[in-house]
Amino acid sequence: MKFDRRLLINFDWMLLLLLLGLCVIGILNIYSAGYSLSDFKQETLYVKQAQWIMIGLVLMGITVCIDYHLICRYAYIIYAFSVLLLLLVALYGYTTHGSQRWIMIQGFSFQPSELVKLTTIIALAKYFDEHRIQKSYNLKELLIPFFIVFIPFSFILKQPDLGTALVLLIIFTSITFFVGVQWKSLVLAIVSVLIVTPFSWFFLKDYQRERIITFFNPESDPLGSGYHIIQSIIAVGSGGIIGKGYLKGTQTQLKFLPVQQTDFVFSVFAEEWGFMGALIVMVMFLALVLWCLKIALHSRDLLGMLISFGISMLIFWEVFINIGMVLGLLPVVGIPLPFLSYGGSSMIVLMVAMGFLMNISMRRFILHP
Amino acid sequence: MRTRLNEHEPGEFRSRFKIIFAVVSVMLCLLVLRMWHLQVIRGDELRQRSENNSVRLRKIKPLRGLVLDTGGHVLVDNQPSFDVIFVPNRTKKIHDVAYKLKDLYEARSIPFSLDIPDPGKKRWFSPVKLEKNISMKKLAVVETHATDLPGVAVEVVPTRLYLHGAAMAHIIGYTGEISREELKKDVADKANVGDIVGKDGLEKFLDQYIKGKCGAEQVEVNVLGKEIKVIGKIDPVPGYNVVLTVDVHLQKIAWDAMKDKAGAVVVMDPRDGSILALVSSPSFNPNLFNGGISSEDWEKLSSDPSHPMENRAIAGQYPPGSTYKLIVAAAALEEGLITPETAFTCHGSFDLGNRTYRCWNKHGHGRISLHRAIVESCDVYFYNLGKLLGVDKIAYYAHQFGLGKRTGIDLSREKPGFVPTKTWKQTRFKEPWQMGETISISIGQGFNLVTPLQLVNVYATLANGGTLYRPRLVKRIESMDGQIIKTFEPEQVGTLSLSRKNIEILQHALWGVVNEPGGTGHALSRKEADVCGKTGTSQVIGLPDDESARRRIKISAKYRDHALFTCYAPYKNPEIAIAVIVEHSGSGGAVAAPIARKIIDAYFEYKRSVHNKQQETVTVKKAEDHARR
Repeated sequence: MKFDRRLLINFDWMLLLLLLGLCVIGILNIYSAGYSLSDFKQETLYVKQAQWIMIGLVLMGITVCIDYHLICRYAYIIYAFSVLLLLLVALYGYTTHGSQRWIMIQGFSFQPSELVKLTTIIALAKYFDEHRIQKSYNLKELLIPFFIVFIPFSFILKQPDLGTALVLLIIFTSITFFVGVQWKSLVLAIVSVLIVTPFSWFFLKDYQRERIITFFNPESDPLGSGYHIIQSIIAVGSGGIIGKGYLKGTQTQLKFLPVQQTDFVFSVFAEEWGFMGALIVMVMFLALVLWCLKIALHSRDLLGMLISFGISMLIFWEVFINIGMVLGLLPVVGIPLPFLSYGGSSMIVLMVAMGFLMNISMRRFILHP
Repeated sequence: MRTRLNEHEPGEFRSRFKIIFAVVSVMLCLLVLRMWHLQVIRGDELRQRSENNSVRLRKIKPLRGLVLDTGGHVLVDNQPSFDVIFVPNRTKKIHDVAYKLKDLYEARSIPFSLDIPDPGKKRWFSPVKLEKNISMKKLAVVETHATDLPGVAVEVVPTRLYLHGAAMAHIIGYTGEISREELKKDVADKANVGDIVGKDGLEKFLDQYIKGKCGAEQVEVNVLGKEIKVIGKIDPVPGYNVVLTVDVHLQKIAWDAMKDKAGAVVVMDPRDGSILALVSSPSFNPNLFNGGISSEDWEKLSSDPSHPMENRAIAGQYPPGSTYKLIVAAAALEEGLITPETAFTCHGSFDLGNRTYRCWNKHGHGRISLHRAIVESCDVYFYNLGKLLGVDKIAYYAHQFGLGKRTGIDLSREKPGFVPTKTWKQTRFKEPWQMGETISISIGQGFNLVTPLQLVNVYATLANGGTLYRPRLVKRIESMDGQIIKTFEPEQVGTLSLSRKNIEILQHALWGVVNEPGGTGHALSRKEADVCGKTGTSQVIGLPDDESARRRIKISAKYRDHALFTCYAPYKNPEIAIAVIVEHSGSGGAVAAPIARKIIDAYFEYKRSVHNKQQETVTVKKAEDHARR
């Protein structure tokens, strides 16, 4: 393949800058979250996070280089592979904190449910690209895309990982709305969901029910997730306008906060940097999501548009749900905050997703034969 | 142009994008509004709350499971330890408090054994353990001066109590705080700093069953860091109890017999490979490790030249000496090279090339056949067998008896021993095998090495008629209320390819060693139980030919021979097999056999007393039944 100079000219520096900025904030913040713990395991998390970012950047670079049309030729195979990994998790994965989410590969633990988010988006994009309809889709035509999502969804729900499963469902809904649904079908779907929902209560695990109950009444469980919400709200609020200062958040350093390197990482940041700091991060996230949507808008074909739209929605919903949870607006469901939460699988998958966006962005003027 | 957008689509998508841009912006602004609400409007109020935040989550350590012997006697229990901890708060610095505590102690002339932390250290946030396992006197001081010692609290944590101390230390092992390395290996992310884990022995091997699960407690503390009340609590789950195959009665007898010697004793039930006793001497007091061993004690233990921390029963590798003759005899019989009647003449020495190999009896045994050769342990007879067999044939049978590899007992750090072969020597030394080396091997000297555990397994295998078992220490794992969690069944790991007839010939010869006149193990001859056995003496160094030089060297304890004895009883249907090794102490018959005898006596005496008791209860029951009628 001949190298096209336009690729380099059109490279999306803005996107790279935004995500690197968020990563740097993430590392500094994880360092602070683990600062007071004499536990060396936590102390070195920021080093590990930096390593994950490095690995992610390399994979991102590789993703950028290969034309996304070529990658998408194998979209279903990649999708099937990631679902297979989920199956392996169900069979051989190991369990922490009561859910079976990880598999070990060569001494590294990996969370295939993170990968599935991306592969499902790509598979959906390919499907809708190949099955175009003049106006909008009806329920029958949405059956196959629904199953593309439902298979990994049920695996993840079984682990159990309610948060990730929900994100998958929300992404599906977002993309479906985007490609267009007939009004009649939409009403039918909503009605059937409303009928099914009460029954699904019986399929939830005890701890999931507890979380939903405590969301509506945090004081009912001061030791469990209610404690998390209360402490998180105190942490965020006590940051005030300018924050308590880096490494000086008492909620964080005295370990009142739960899982402060992962799901509640934003409350660490909000406590130490205050409203000003949190606002900057929010603006960065808003800019990132809007920029990703802009890439979707300007992509030169439907496939690129759908992929970039799906990834934009992935980031948007994860940010919204995570921060909503930290601020006590949404129940505690355990979703990582993109680029800021500690976690290798999530970081690497996000980086590859960003690679896809850059890929689509810099090929927007090149006609595909 | 399949991939291009439809003609009408761009406009439609553009309008959808407008909606999405708006929705995304509005929703994220909603979050910002909430932040404004929390941080700006409620900021002062929540900062107050964070400063008065007095609710802490505290871990509660679980009780480790008990360890019981085969009869249900408790071997390892738990006991409370009172630790002084410092919970950091915002105003007080740890070194101020530590000095205050020191003053309080000194005023009452109680020794203060704590390194006061460096005030320059930045990490003043995490709780620090000031002193472990304090005495009642100190406890009284700390509790009565609670108000003078802000942040100081007394924590009650369970620690281990090893009821039999050194006698069982090598089986049970000890516990300690999890180390950095162990934390790194914990891929499942289940362990935490400060967790108590098994460090050696069964404590380590069975850690996953014994350790239990941490609980947590939400406590409200006042400004001084004192607890006011418990708000919520999740109880810790105690670990499972472990029932061993070990019989504490036999273990104590074996330990008492070995206490002031160096060596090991292993007692096994040949019917299923259960270990009844396992002693390694010298030993150590595992209670020293409770709540962390002091560096002074550790220094003493680790630098002791007699290596008390080494489990000689599984990790001590010794030349098997004459106890190896059983394997050579088995090989020669089964290969058809000799019959029980085949005889050789012993003049007290054996010549091969220009070297002379001596028999222990320099006057010679005369013309001797297999049975008497084993009974009297004639070396020359076995030199002849070795020459007929060659090293690889011997190795083949040694492997069948489980030598040269780990037995797989439920303990870590077991050593495999060693069985030499021609190919091994070629690859290791790039030299061909010498016939002379086979001659040494055939009486258990030279390259071959066995552990006491392997040795007892060899004789147990012969005793039960040819089944090699994996030695097992653990019978089952039970929950607190006696429900069985897991049972460890006997495991057969191999069978001898010896014919029934040959096994019986060998068993009879071992009976002769103890029960026939002139047998080397005559010390064990007793009426109640027919004991079969074999003595052994393993040379530590090659001895010079000159008789007076030999005597001179033997005086020095370091070069004295190891005494070995291994036996089983009764002759028919054996129930107990024993191996005894006493380091640098002389001949097996004189030193090791009496130790085995003590154990056998105790075993049969105990069995008889249990039997009598049962008889009594049966008679009493019968009498009661009779009376009722």
